[in-house]
Amino acid sequence: MNGHETYETLAAVYAVGALDGDDLAQFEVHLAEGCQPCATALRESREALARLALGDTRAVPPAEVKSALMARIGTAPRAAARPSRAGWLTWAAATAAVVALAAMLTSGIVASRYEARLGQMAREMAAERERLQREEAALELLRDPATRVVELRSPSGSNAIARVIWNDKAGGHLIVSNLPPAPEGKAYELWALGGAQPRPAGLFQVDASGRVAQKVEAGGEPPKGFAVTLEPATGVPAPTGPIVMASR
Amino acid sequence: MTTAGEEFIRRMAAGDRDAFGHFYDRYAPLVFPLILRIVRDRTDAADVLQEVFWEAWQGASGYDPARGTPEAWMITRARTRAIDRIRAVRRRSETFVPPVDEGLAPASPEPGGDAAERAEDRGVIRTALNQLPHAQREVIELAYYAGLTQTEISARLQQPLGTVKTRIRLGLERLRDVVRRAT
Repeated sequence: MNGHETYETLAAVYAVGALDGDDLAQFEVHLAEGCQPCATALRESREALARLALGDTRAVPPAEVKSALMARIGTAPRAAARPSRAGWLTWAAATAAVVALAAMLTSGIVASRYEARLGQMAREMAAERERLQREEAALELLRDPATRVVELRSPSGSNAIARVIWNDKAGGHLIVSNLPPAPEGKAYELWALGGAQPRPAGLFQVDASGRVAQKVEAGGEPPKGFAVTLEPATGVPAPTGPIVMASR
Repeated sequence: MTTAGEEFIRRMAAGDRDAFGHFYDRYAPLVFPLILRIVRDRTDAADVLQEVFWEAWQGASGYDPARGTPEAWMITRARTRAIDRIRAVRRRSETFVPPVDEGLAPASPEPGGDAAERAEDRGVIRTALNQLPHAQREVIELAYYAGLTQTEISARLQQPLGTVKTRIRLGLERLRDVVRRAT
């Protein structure tokens, strides 16, 4: 095969995600150089494959996925939503890097692979930014004389430990170590104790090393203590599962 | 003209959770069957579905209608993430090659909305894949649904690489023609 027909073939193989090796590198360069016919062919192929997939079969998604997502977007502030003042420089630098890279890449036709990489980088940066913001906010909270630190221990005597850095006005942060990951379909839920009823204060999962740090929203009566129970992954309005950790 | 899907994505980019809820309701039933078809395990498919929508929420501001419909945006993403999942599994057990021939439960019409209006040309398009010569259909399925690369397909079918590429191109050209005619 010679000339542009080679690229038409590569575009088709690329569209079904099967291009590899030198062909992949060659085609991505070609696409990044701004070949309009290839970009159009790729777009049309993706639309056709999407239509094919939509006509495929029917299967109802499990209901818990939506509730988990809604909980997730409700608790985690979105990327770049509210940069804290202290984190501003990092944020600005990261944003500038993304913008610069985006500008560089969009000068031609942006190959979807580069978009994917860029998306991946942006996601990583957003996650990093979130982590920084969380740590800075926790530090800021510790400077406030009204902030207290509540320790939660496992009643069974395991070495799991949690601390809640708590401020009645600003809310707080939960920091957990040595807690085994929740079983499939389950999540840990934090409760603020002291009102008439335990107040749900957030669902969480720990990472593979048994750790997590997350924000706890202010609200309700000033809590006298905290407890963690094991609950269905979608969370419950009142505790139903076993107490995993509690403050004294 | 802005479609409802595009409008949801625009509002998601502005941080609108309700729009995300509507977006999910509309697109999850469309992309979930594809994910399930690729990864096969319902628990894995649910994980991938969540990942795909989480990415859509995070990446809503990067959506450009000029580059494709929300359907293609979501399907492309869902297919990629599902294939990532099975490739990871395959790396763990080198011999595992997913079967491609068994389908899932047959299609049943879905309720309401413009999805229903699309049902007719869906049928046309599904038939289009079935009408492709077996050799063309086979390579597209191995690539798109089983996540094999051109080199892997060539080895599996014991066909020259050039033949595999040409079959993919011819098959895809035909599918594009059908879609163009159906819209």
